[in-house]
Amino acid sequence: MNKTTTGALTFALLLVFSTTAPAADFSKGSKAKKWGLTAEEKALFTGKVVDIVCELSGDCPDNCGNGLRQLGIVRDSDQKLISVLKNGQAAFNGAADDLLPYCNEQVDADGVLIGDEASLGAKYFMVQRIRKDGRPKWNKTKQWTKAWKKRNPDAKGKGPWFRRDPRVAKQIELEGYFGLGAEVDKKYIAENE
Amino acid sequence: MNHILKMSGTIASTALSLFMFAAPASAATAETVEIRGEVIDTWCYLSGVMGGPDSVTGSAHHTCALWCAAGGIPIGVLAQDGTIYMVLKLEGEDPLAQSDSIMKIQSDVITARGQHYMRDGVNYLVVEKVVTNEGITNVNHNDFGVVPGFAIPKKK
Repeated sequence: MNKTTTGALTFALLLVFSTTAPAADFSKGSKAKKWGLTAEEKALFTGKVVDIVCELSGDCPDNCGNGLRQLGIVRDSDQKLISVLKNGQAAFNGAADDLLPYCNEQVDADGVLIGDEASLGAKYFMVQRIRKDGRPKWNKTKQWTKAWKKRNPDAKGKGPWFRRDPRVAKQIELEGYFGLGAEVDKKYIAENE
Repeated sequence: MNHILKMSGTIASTALSLFMFAAPASAATAETVEIRGEVIDTWCYLSGVMGGPDSVTGSAHHTCALWCAAGGIPIGVLAQDGTIYMVLKLEGEDPLAQSDSIMKIQSDVITARGQHYMRDGVNYLVVEKVVTNEGITNVNHNDFGVVPGFAIPKKK
């Protein structure tokens, strides 16, 4: 085998090995709480908070859409766009209200990556605490309920937000708990009381 | 000799193709698509927080899907082949616009026309038009009950 052949084969092998390396471990230094989720991994990383539509399409309103859009984090170490599904609260809360104050800024984000990457092609993130890159103070990601109260000043009363949310209440009123009408609800409740 | 050179060239080009396929994209190209699938709550579906994927779809999980959509968790369209498309816009509206549009389609099987973006293994969909809405076709509450169990409040 001459030098040209050896060089081509070495190049080929380097490329193959560079793409089959195990997934990176981002758990070092993470203080995230595990929730017992699918393929859950603690993850602490640095990156830039972005408006996902802007990142993908170039449609970029001011301030990442002012809370109306889903936000993500472009991770510094590999430039991957990480889709953030959830903040650190327990009651069905997304992450946009917690990420928005950091629009287009560098942050450290700590939380858990979830989902089976082998079958899904990616992992998804639940952010539990966040800070501007390198700053000492972390902020827990629990802004959603405060923001909900501001958005829904008339949703007073007792109980968790999701029992008082006007949009949820309206939809359940229209189509029932199963989405199939009041009669289906009535039958199920009667049989399972 | 030519044979060896040709072979090594083929290996190199195959490896280059593999590399290009596996390398993270730094930008995404849009493609116009029409996707038919069930509108799902991506958090419960992907995290397994409330059980297996079959139990967190359809009528069984409908109320929770409403909660998560109102809670700002991204909604997705689960296509028949299992691909999940994260919805970034719905007929011109941003998903967190606090309108009823996003609530009305929870758990429904829809056909959505729009722009598909793929980035770092995640499929994103900017829905330009909901072409058809078949309503809730996945009637699974008789199999799984109501998920989570507290979705229907108990009578006091």
